[in-house]
Amino acid sequence: MQDRPTANELLEAIGDLLEKEVMPALKGPVQHQVRVAANLARVLEREVELAAPLEAREIALLADVLGEDVGARTAEELSRELTRRLDAKLDPVLEQRSWLALLEIVRGKLSISKPGYDAFDFADELEA
Amino acid sequence: MSGLQDLDAALARFLSTEWAGPVEILDMGIASAGARRRNVLFDARKDGFRTPLVATIIPNAAIQVMPMEVEASNLRLAEAAGAPAPHVHAVTDDPSFLGGPFFLTSRIEGETIPRRVLRLVAENEGLGARIARQSGEALARIHSVDPTKIHPDLPGAEAPIEAALLGARALLDGLLQPSPTFTLAWNWLERNRPSEPVQRALVHGDFRNGNLIVGDDGLRAVLDWEVAHLGDPMEDPGWLCQRMWRFRNDSLEVGGLGTRADLRAGYEGAGGQWDEARFLWWKSMGTLKWGMGLAGQAAAHLNGSVPSIIMAASGRRVAELEYDLLMLLKPAFG
Repeated sequence: MQDRPTANELLEAIGDLLEKEVMPALKGPVQHQVRVAANLARVLEREVELAAPLEAREIALLADVLGEDVGARTAEELSRELTRRLDAKLDPVLEQRSWLALLEIVRGKLSISKPGYDAFDFADELEA
Repeated sequence: MSGLQDLDAALARFLSTEWAGPVEILDMGIASAGARRRNVLFDARKDGFRTPLVATIIPNAAIQVMPMEVEASNLRLAEAAGAPAPHVHAVTDDPSFLGGPFFLTSRIEGETIPRRVLRLVAENEGLGARIARQSGEALARIHSVDPTKIHPDLPGAEAPIEAALLGARALLDGLLQPSPTFTLAWNWLERNRPSEPVQRALVHGDFRNGNLIVGDDGLRAVLDWEVAHLGDPMEDPGWLCQRMWRFRNDSLEVGGLGTRADLRAGYEGAGGQWDEARFLWWKSMGTLKWGMGLAGQAAAHLNGSVPSIIMAASGRRVAELEYDLLMLLKPAFG
């Protein structure tokens, strides 16, 4: 066990420093870079908190689509296998099940990288 | 070419020859200084008459995307067709003046930064819809340029749909991490590809909020013609309507400014032939390409070719484009 502050608490301190102290003292391209860095500290804060359960869920979803046992492979390996199968032959059932699983997985990633981004659903612009 | 004074003297020398008489350079300022090109604003005075100009300079010819003469010819053709392209006053590929090729265009006042554009629109009732409609008109006019007059060196695939698919496939195969979402999208795009366009048109290639000069009277000019090419005209509205150019004003499809109906009315009103299915195809294709472009930026940071916190952060934006794609594909799979 690491001593306090936790990773989360340190990231919060780093984010506050960048956003409240460093950014206002800068201008131009460097200020923009620091703004981005501050935002990344916020992303990492959420990642520390949320990543483990989300990754477990991602593995479960992918394994289910692929018909595999959970625990045999990592999320990246399962993703690679899914892209391979999607490319191998046209399988409408696999595509539809993939779409549903991928939507949940992507929403999970967004809850870390950009909460609220998935509130917009393009509903009015889809019909051809 | 370093200081503003050198620039001043070089531009005076260039314009005095070009305009056959002594020209004075006044009120010079740097508008933007990117790695690929920089924009310098100034007034040129000849015979007591001031002309507000912009010099678009490629720092050195080696990084040029297309010859300046080709880019300038696109602006001239678009302007002649009635599109709001800045007037080209002079162009040269001769590096002896400014160290690289450049062209001079009329300087047009107004807002270009998307957040400021959206603020202006919020303050002026009806302005956003007007800009969306004018964007449609501008695109129809750009696309109406007579293909036989287009510069022979303008790039463009013979079969733009096939080329877009192959280009996206190459990006897909080069991803650092697998993205089943991008694979699903590519396969859908491949299966639902429209026919190749009967006639290719001059395509702007980056027509979007951020490359438009607007004022409280509406659209004043279309900028950044460096990726123009011969292609499928519906590629342009498809790109303009990407979510990323709405800058959080998500419900207005055209750059956060207006609706697709506004854009289409302008396009058709100016004689353009709108093809809805083709538009939607290019919209999804643009989203896929941008998503893989962001992944590519992260890869460029990671392999050390472009170390930058901005490029690194792009990797964590990929999920946004994956989400957009899944939503655009909802009618097929949802």
